[in-house]
Amino acid sequence: MEMLRIQGLKARIGDKEILHGLDLAIGAGEVHAIMGPNGSGKSTLASVLAGRETVEVTAGSVSYDGQDLLALAPEKRAAAGLFLGFQYPVEIPGVANLYFLRTALNAIRRARGLEELDAMDFLALAREKLKLVKWDQSFVQRGVNEGFSGGEKKKNEILQMAVLEPRLVVLDEIDSGLDIDALRVVADGVNALRSKERAFLIVTHYQRLLDYVKPDAVHVMAAGRIVKSGGPELALELEKKGYAGWMPERPAARAAP
Amino acid sequence: MSRAAESLARALGAPPSGEPGFASALRRAGADDFQRLGLPTTRHEDWRYTSLAELAALPLSPAGPRRASPAELERLGGLPPAPRLVFVNGRLDPEHTDLAGLPAGAGAGSLAAALRERPALVEPHLGRAPFREHALAALNGALFADGALVHLPDGAAAEAPIHLVFLVLAGAEPAAAFPRTLVIAGRGASATLVERWAGEGTYLAGGLSEIALGEGSSLELVRVQREAPEAFHVGLVGVRQAAGSRYTGRSVALGARLARVETRAVLEGEGAENHLDGLYVASGSQLHDHFVHVEHAVPRGTSRELFKGILDGTARGVFAGRVLVRPGAQKTDAGQVNSNLLLSEDATVDTRPQLEILADDVKCSHGGTVGQLDEDALFYLRSRGLDRATARALLTWAFAAEMVERLPAGAREGVRRLVTARLPDGHRLQEAA
Repeated sequence: MEMLRIQGLKARIGDKEILHGLDLAIGAGEVHAIMGPNGSGKSTLASVLAGRETVEVTAGSVSYDGQDLLALAPEKRAAAGLFLGFQYPVEIPGVANLYFLRTALNAIRRARGLEELDAMDFLALAREKLKLVKWDQSFVQRGVNEGFSGGEKKKNEILQMAVLEPRLVVLDEIDSGLDIDALRVVADGVNALRSKERAFLIVTHYQRLLDYVKPDAVHVMAAGRIVKSGGPELALELEKKGYAGWMPERPAARAAP
Repeated sequence: MSRAAESLARALGAPPSGEPGFASALRRAGADDFQRLGLPTTRHEDWRYTSLAELAALPLSPAGPRRASPAELERLGGLPPAPRLVFVNGRLDPEHTDLAGLPAGAGAGSLAAALRERPALVEPHLGRAPFREHALAALNGALFADGALVHLPDGAAAEAPIHLVFLVLAGAEPAAAFPRTLVIAGRGASATLVERWAGEGTYLAGGLSEIALGEGSSLELVRVQREAPEAFHVGLVGVRQAAGSRYTGRSVALGARLARVETRAVLEGEGAENHLDGLYVASGSQLHDHFVHVEHAVPRGTSRELFKGILDGTARGVFAGRVLVRPGAQKTDAGQVNSNLLLSEDATVDTRPQLEILADDVKCSHGGTVGQLDEDALFYLRSRGLDRATARALLTWAFAAEMVERLPAGAREGVRRLVTARLPDGHRLQEAA
């Protein structure tokens, strides 16, 4: 069943057009990877999907579960099951991680008409999810990402994902700057959440995360478009040959997973 | 002469009888100074950004004796636990005062009573705070009816915070109360004082506290200001510190139409430490002013100021931080930060660090920011499902939280509730409190 369909998407930041007509479709249960060189527009795509206001969509459409995703405020997208794992998670000293997680989960539960979890129930849930990232509780007593290393911030994104149980997960360069142990934890977290109902869009510069998270489809992005799509073997090919062959002169290929 | 100065001047001629000579002298000097100075205007360097014009236009008269009813106490936040002293309209209210839990040897009670009964204890410290040519200090000296005397003998350590509640209950006419507090800490003594300022009606709360810290003593003074919306609050705190003493002043400013907390500290003995914090949350057309003057008179003193403001509506924040390092006060270590969060385009802040350094071997710094909520952080929170209002409230709280966390137990929880209640959409954060 199709979950996400992006058609002819154009977007700009300020005066600069970054996405020049992007097409992509993802079905429920699928894991797609988007690979591309710096500046190809990968992160801009992730931002558009999550609703960052500094990116202006000028043409095209994004349909998620049959509804117009672009018409929704960021928090409505979260309530509808979208989750963006940030490339640069924000530090918020003064707000305890645990409180933030519960506020977020309860906001989403409220929006879905579910009962909110009280502090005790939430703590039990959080304890369970903490195992996924191999953390003890001290991490969630601290301020949100306060003084976290790069790897800890990314693990926190995975923890948030596990708590919020989204249906469509967009991970924006979640693997950048990770040592091998952190990369494994992140990959294990993703694999643990893979299911028939859930889809992943993994935006990455490197192939190495895909050694641990096997994608169903790989897309190459260059200059604001998807220029080639294929299976997992495409990632290996890119790793070997680099992105040089996929620069913009080539005719844009349509993505068809 | 302004209307307020005129009406107050009428009260100056009738000092209480039966006071010792040094108290009468303080009152006479205060009356003379106030008659000469009048209320300060914005032409006065120390009052450039804080206009008392609205106060000056009020027909102020000294608040009369008054009891607080249970309903009034409840509306003004109830009573804190003992040990506590309650003052209504500047006079001790014995019915609601409860001194249980004071450490052995320590004394707390009415300053007016102490002037009659223990003048020898009071005389060396009364009127010695570094307020010179200061109209409000003069007015307090001339007109104080009562206030707290807290006496900690050598080595006394108060475990539980001592609460001081200052209420003004103005009637139909604008009133002024001038509670005067004297804290005497002996060698090695330590205590935490938590003051609450609240009231009803249109009034001036013009308190002055003198704090004398003996060698190696330690005092933390928390002021929680939640005066009535039409009230004016000018709180003066004068601190003299002997060698190795430590003073921590924490101001939480929430209420009043105009509020100023002015702390003047002199580090008179070597190795003294002075820490001043402030959190002000102003909205509507409120003005919150913090004025700090720390004088390093001798070597090896440390002073730190950290003040944070949250300003909404057309509110104004004012911070003046003066640090004076006297010649010879070598190895002084002074640092100052004032950061402000502006929640609306019409809110303003005037911040003035002023370091006057007359010694050459010192470490002095100042810094701070004025800014809005971080858009990246807002987006981060919204992408996790928090609506914009909740995300804004949470980030605003996060800015304030550091200051609230610094408060001692016994003040922290209450202030957390008060601060969240004052933030835009703060009710969405009830669980954070």
